[in-house]
Amino acid sequence: MNPTTFPGRALGEASSRPGLSVDRLGGVIAVLIGIAVFAAPFVTYRANRIVAGEARMLVEAVSPILAGAVLAAALLAAVAAVVVQQPWLRLGAAALGLMVVTPSVGAAAWFLTPPGNTFARISPALGFWLLALALGLLVADSLTRLRLGPWARLAALAVAAAFVALLVLSGAWNGLSILKEYATRADGFWREARQHLFLALGSLLAACLVGLPLGILCHRAPRLRAAILPVLSIVQTIPSIALFGILMVPLGYLAATVPLAAEVGIRGIGGAPALVALFLYSLLPIVGNTVVGLAQVPAAVVEAARGMGLSDRQRLTQIELPLALPVILTGIRIVLVQNLGLATVAALIGGGGFGTFVFQGIGQTAIDLVLLGAIPTVALAFTAAVILDAAIDLANGHD
Amino acid sequence: MIEIERLSKRYGDTVVVDEVSMVIEEGTVAVVVGTSGAGKSTLLRMINRLIEPSSGRVLIDGQDTMAIPEDELRHRIGYVIQGYGLFPHRTVADNIATVPRLLGWDRKRIAARVEELLDLYQLDPAEFAGKYPHELSGGQQQRVGVARALAARPALLLMDEPFGALDPVIRAKAQDDLLAIQRRLGTTIVLVTHDMEEAFHLGDRIAVMDQARLLQYASPAELLMRPAEEFVERLVGTAERPFRLLSLARVQDALEPGTAEGEALSASTNLREALSRLIWSGREVLPVADAGGTVIGRVSVDRILRFGRSSA
Repeated sequence: MNPTTFPGRALGEASSRPGLSVDRLGGVIAVLIGIAVFAAPFVTYRANRIVAGEARMLVEAVSPILAGAVLAAALLAAVAAVVVQQPWLRLGAAALGLMVVTPSVGAAAWFLTPPGNTFARISPALGFWLLALALGLLVADSLTRLRLGPWARLAALAVAAAFVALLVLSGAWNGLSILKEYATRADGFWREARQHLFLALGSLLAACLVGLPLGILCHRAPRLRAAILPVLSIVQTIPSIALFGILMVPLGYLAATVPLAAEVGIRGIGGAPALVALFLYSLLPIVGNTVVGLAQVPAAVVEAARGMGLSDRQRLTQIELPLALPVILTGIRIVLVQNLGLATVAALIGGGGFGTFVFQGIGQTAIDLVLLGAIPTVALAFTAAVILDAAIDLANGHD
Repeated sequence: MIEIERLSKRYGDTVVVDEVSMVIEEGTVAVVVGTSGAGKSTLLRMINRLIEPSSGRVLIDGQDTMAIPEDELRHRIGYVIQGYGLFPHRTVADNIATVPRLLGWDRKRIAARVEELLDLYQLDPAEFAGKYPHELSGGQQQRVGVARALAARPALLLMDEPFGALDPVIRAKAQDDLLAIQRRLGTTIVLVTHDMEEAFHLGDRIAVMDQARLLQYASPAELLMRPAEEFVERLVGTAERPFRLLSLARVQDALEPGTAEGEALSASTNLREALSRLIWSGREVLPVADAGGTVIGRVSVDRILRFGRSSA
């Protein structure tokens, strides 16, 4: 055994000694679970989609048997969080908890909706969210402790996505208010989803096409770097709403004076200013990380490459860019997660995307409509982060 | 043959290399020594045009280096630097294959060459070909660095402090290996160092530089006995001088007929080491054996001392 691993192991195992040692994060998770099942409403019942809701505790919300099952699964996870240190067991307890809790909120909807009533709305309430949060934390913590490689993390993501898809497609959640909101605007939902992805990925692509060459130029010419990076930093500090507003003026002018621009869809409002704004926000992380990534390539490596007669282009493509790739990918990750979130604001200027539902929901005080926009946005950002983190690890050469 | 003719490098008013001229014969090792900032590295880097000279020229086998496209010139010249600059994202085999690939060798020929070089450097191809640089020790990295530079069989090898990052024990071994391989391949080497000991150990000729100027370019013995300037004399070390001279001669040069008690010295041992062995063994005389182990004579403290005095 390698003796240098001993101190780390000893530290890691100090808290894993069986007996009275208590895991701190596990303690927090257990408290959250306790509050969630005993002190917080599981779902909210509303007679129709905009009236104030009435809270329903777990025992009132589902059949006694199911309530018992949820309680048992939740408490099991709480106990596992506090006393079990074996990561696979913790993960198992958390996954079991999620598998019982998530469908039961759908069951609560069927249980509470009076037969034949199409106006009543059931939404998950604080108790459910806390429970999902606590179990999610436990899953994340276990996965971290397992130190999964990039491929295993992608597999875990796929399993989680498949589980959510199963819940949605099987109809288990169809009684929930959020899916009722979805059912009435299914076409619009997928249109806005496409638009959201178009805004976030399109701006990212454009930023890569412009930002990578710009970063390479900045690396080669320090004077250019001194001029460009501060400008991009300032752009980054402009609030998104303000930037959308600022862009309306030149784009509107462009559309009015250049017929071709109007023909391809460039207007003062809509997708064009949103795309341009997201593109501008994306430039700093991409250019900055390209410059940093290239700068951290060891000088001796560059010198050796030159000395062996690699041309400038060969040096860039074979040596510098591959070695800078992890840092550049980190920039792309920042941009993608940021743009998936920021694209919501585009709805304010008619740019579409999931923000459409968020702002409609706020306007109608229909919280479930807000969630219909917000939850997919968060899910997309989370998925993008996991995938790119795995890509960064792979680029670093860890399989 | 490398001819350096009145080569200079100026940055504005600062002169880094001042009209240096020297000739390096085919198959020999020229070592450039001097304090840091003397212009040694700049001189070396002007040979493969990593730095463009301000004036003067370099001829390789009579051909002006300025007449050869930069990249092509560098494909023909091996280059080893302190820290080696191995490509961290490529395996040992891929690192060594760098220049052959640039030259468009076919895959079979590259594989054979990589294997040959790993063997030459006592790195088992089965074990090392697939390793990454960070998995190697300092000494192994150094060997891969030199193997990479020699991959396309360059006639000229430029080395800038190639042993600077090694600890003393490994350094001595690496220097001996380099000499052995140089003798075998007949490669011409220009090596830059600030270590006088290394210069005397490796150099057929030594160039002493100070403040951008080449003060003296001569054989080690001549440098010791006829230092051109006070700086050279100081650099070679007055107190060290007799010992350095002894280290340049072999036991063969001071061989006496007859035999003696004790463990035999090899005929190719240098006189400095022989003297050291005599002092340590407490004997006045030791036998001398040839490479096959046959005793061919003896060497004495007295004779070595007389040899040292006669040279001075």
